[in-house]
Amino acid sequence: MMEAAKEQIPPRWTRRWLRDPLFHFMLAGVALFGFYRVLNPSADAPKEGRIVLTQDDLRPMTVAWMAQGRPAPAPEQVASLVEAKVREEILYREALALGLDRDDTIVKRRLAQKMDFLAEDAAALREPTRQELETWFREHSDSFASTPRVSFTHVYFSADRHGEGTREVAAKALETMPARSRQSTAGLGDPFMFQDFYGDRSPTQLAGVFGPAFAKALFEVKPGTWQGPIASGYGWHLVFVGAMTPSRVPAFEEVEGEVRAEWTAEQRARSKQTAFETMRARYTVILPDDGEAKP
Amino acid sequence: MQTRTLKLREALLGGVALGLMTASALAQANPEREAFFGETHVHTGWSFDAYIFGNTMTGPAEAYAYATGEPIRHPLGYTIKIDTPLDWMGVTDHSEYVGTVRLANDPSSPISKLPIAEKLKVRTKADIQRVYLWLGTSMIDNKPVKELLVPEIAGTVWKENNAIADRYNKPGTFTAFCAYEWTSTPNNRNMHRNVFFKDCAKVPPMPFSSIDSTNPEDLWAWMDGQRKARNELLAISHNANLSDGHMFPTEVDEKGRPIDAAWAESRLRNERLSEIKQIKGQSETHPFLFPNDEFANFEVLTYLLGDPAGRIPHIPGSYIRQAYKDGLSMQGARGYNPYKFGLVGGSDSHNTGVPYRQDNFFGGHAKNDGTAQVRLGNVFAGLDTKFENPAGLTGIWAEENTRASLFEAMQRKETFATSGPRIKLRFFGGYDLASDMQRDRDWVKAAYARAVPMGGDLPPITAGRPTFAVWAVKDPTSGNLDRVQIVKGWSKNGQSFEKVFDVIWSGERTVSEVDGQLPPVGNTVDVAAIEPRPQGTSVEARVERIAEDVRTRGDERAPAGSVGEGMNLGYRNSIGAVELKTVWTDPEFEPGVDAFYYARVLEIPTPRWTTIQARQLGQQPPANVAATLQERAWSSPIWYTPSAEVRKSASQGQTVTDLVQRGAKALTDDEIKALIVSKTLNVRNTVTGQTFTIIYAASGRRLITGIDGVAPEPGEIGDVLHSGEIGAPAGYEIKGGKIITTLMNSPYEVAVYQLGNKYYGARSNEFGFANYEMDVSPTTP
Repeated sequence: MMEAAKEQIPPRWTRRWLRDPLFHFMLAGVALFGFYRVLNPSADAPKEGRIVLTQDDLRPMTVAWMAQGRPAPAPEQVASLVEAKVREEILYREALALGLDRDDTIVKRRLAQKMDFLAEDAAALREPTRQELETWFREHSDSFASTPRVSFTHVYFSADRHGEGTREVAAKALETMPARSRQSTAGLGDPFMFQDFYGDRSPTQLAGVFGPAFAKALFEVKPGTWQGPIASGYGWHLVFVGAMTPSRVPAFEEVEGEVRAEWTAEQRARSKQTAFETMRARYTVILPDDGEAKP
Repeated sequence: MQTRTLKLREALLGGVALGLMTASALAQANPEREAFFGETHVHTGWSFDAYIFGNTMTGPAEAYAYATGEPIRHPLGYTIKIDTPLDWMGVTDHSEYVGTVRLANDPSSPISKLPIAEKLKVRTKADIQRVYLWLGTSMIDNKPVKELLVPEIAGTVWKENNAIADRYNKPGTFTAFCAYEWTSTPNNRNMHRNVFFKDCAKVPPMPFSSIDSTNPEDLWAWMDGQRKARNELLAISHNANLSDGHMFPTEVDEKGRPIDAAWAESRLRNERLSEIKQIKGQSETHPFLFPNDEFANFEVLTYLLGDPAGRIPHIPGSYIRQAYKDGLSMQGARGYNPYKFGLVGGSDSHNTGVPYRQDNFFGGHAKNDGTAQVRLGNVFAGLDTKFENPAGLTGIWAEENTRASLFEAMQRKETFATSGPRIKLRFFGGYDLASDMQRDRDWVKAAYARAVPMGGDLPPITAGRPTFAVWAVKDPTSGNLDRVQIVKGWSKNGQSFEKVFDVIWSGERTVSEVDGQLPPVGNTVDVAAIEPRPQGTSVEARVERIAEDVRTRGDERAPAGSVGEGMNLGYRNSIGAVELKTVWTDPEFEPGVDAFYYARVLEIPTPRWTTIQARQLGQQPPANVAATLQERAWSSPIWYTPSAEVRKSASQGQTVTDLVQRGAKALTDDEIKALIVSKTLNVRNTVTGQTFTIIYAASGRRLITGIDGVAPEPGEIGDVLHSGEIGAPAGYEIKGGKIITTLMNSPYEVAVYQLGNKYYGARSNEFGFANYEMDVSPTTP
């Protein structure tokens, strides 16, 4: 064993070569190139090609130059801009020929993004009919509903005054509340820091004043009687909900413009999705874990 | 696509609502004014640094959407949603290179085709660092990249920014301001100002950026020009704490010119407000500046932007309370006060969305602090991210939620700041207000009639004493209130002083006879009770869950009177108060002395975000930051300025000019050395009457061993005028005819004058007064 190993050690210069990264690189390059040639016998880099630049290609180059606050480029500067463009084009083509675009994340993302834009543009072309919009509105009326609103009076029981027993005090007071009236509550409860009556408020507005839990609980209260106690961030409250406007679905005419915009947005999303699904259908994805292929 | 749909709807709904809301808003204008909470300082992916931090998907539209309650994406992809929507906001992207990084990286933009765009393209992690350093350094070095500043680029972005503000501005419901940040950072000193416009219809084609000039004086000149063109605007300075002592100068301006009345007027006219707290710390005060303020050690961050090697930030000149005090001294000594500004709180979030609360803190710098794991262990540009904290918040007392009404309130400084929670704070000053005026539920109406609100000036005194009506209500979703304090500052003969009065507090506490202090409110924090919450759970889900909790089990679990939003967060609202109010009279008022008063409200202790998130990750809370804190609110001050006649009645100090006129001569270095080195001096401060015993050792150190013959109390020597810590000597040197003592990394110079056989000292920060009598006779008092 030892003997055999010894015999296999190559001469010193070879060893140095073998350790040299440049050698590794060249070796890998040659291997790759050979491999590539075997797989793509016809993909020879174009030995002679034509690069045609039109006036439309040249104009933006000049504009971009001037956009940097410089005077119009002199002829030799234009020539060098053109040369840069030509260089870019040549390197681009050669790179394509060598397949350098493959497995490049940036190239991939950019192309995927272009596809995405394409799908969106195609969708933007069509105008809906009124009939179409009305039908669509009926199907999606919920998303046009207004937020619910509530008007209520409350009697406040301060945690500063009653401490741990605040809720009990409030519950006891509820028994004495004059039934079905929101007046004559004078002397009940403690003075509240803000308002005793709130008219036409949304859940968000009330959450800002009382905290989200109170706002949520209030919209579940039956209107027309004293109810509670409901907790807020300040203490406990007895509430008399006078009017509650549940969320309302507007008539089509009120929101036609909005419906059109929503419809368009949905069509865009949908056509993008459909376009993608059509493409997706042509692929099978194979995952390593369970080896199960999804259609 | 989903967000696009949302945005579109939002915009359209806004348009429909606009007509309806204008009418109702006008109808609702409230003469007693309401507190409208909002944001003065937020960055989106359009700010060059935010984009590089990884905020590449969201812009101003998403910022406004977030403020109004829509869920948006954090730059790391998870959903963020504000707990309680804001009433108003101004997106303040950096004016420098605004939008250019985004456009350079957007292949559909013509700007991405410019050659310069290549340098801005972000493909790898290394690019992030490279672009940030390149643009950041170009700003710090004041070597702008001119290619990026052409109107084709910068003007387009600015116009788009303002169009978005217009789209989200819904008078009566939500106000969106046109605004930007002027990002001047000369020599790593944060001189930044946020600029707010009253009306988007009149904004200039391009904002004035720090590339135009890094001197605030030039910004003000530009603002004056805008105002002349009938375009109302104001500036809000921020992060004085990171300004290396340059935010509030007293002697020379940023151009090196002596500060004069014109400078002060220009500053007053343009800088109406200053941001007292944000993600990068608070700027109220530093514990070194006033050790007697037991609550000063709150979110202190001593740091310089870019973390330059070998530099120690200067503390004096970097804090608002000191500026207020210096302002008074300048008023007394020179007849002008440049530092009568109001207070706001802000975020400086670079995430488009903003975290305001300890229980939802999701960082402010995209990838650099976007997850709890990273936040609890990252050092980002020299900043330990554990020192970051949730955003501050601004409350504006205005008649209605419109650009005009809010802007006018900002102009008159009727604003208050909070450390994040929506604490409401009213503060009025007048003479002899009735001590029971707040029993009347309409007391605010009376207060507006008989007193001035926060941000105002007390009228000239005729009789009586200044009294202050203060009122604070807790945030219904946060901790109860511990106490309300009134911070008073005053100035005599170039020396300024401060005192914190506890004026009303929760519970049955009484001021201790032992140390004269109000005992602490207590502490209900129980770290073990903090509910572990998996990362990424949306705030919405949490709010939902708490509401559910309260409905089903709230009855038996809710602590005293409160819903218990705090319950799962490791504290109980079983201590503290919901509402605190009182009328307070200044017991130490002197009519001839300049003074300011502002109110500070403290919540009960609650866990800091680091404690909550460490618990959620199953770690010990980090030891280098506080485990609990007391959230707070600060009112803008009310100032008292004596009339010229009344001022004369106060004792007139001795100035250097007086001394020289009477024939005093300034000592040379050698004469000073002979006078003090290796001696023990008795130095009498003629303003306070205190006599300091000071040893000037030959070693170049000096020590204060006594005040009026006894060992000094911490409060006495804590004043920056006097010394450092007890028993700790400070270094001094004698140079240029001055004794230069270095306190807190800043030099304080004393010139010594001889008149007859008497010696007088004049300190460099006492505005021309010679307030010290120096006695070298070897006796002890």
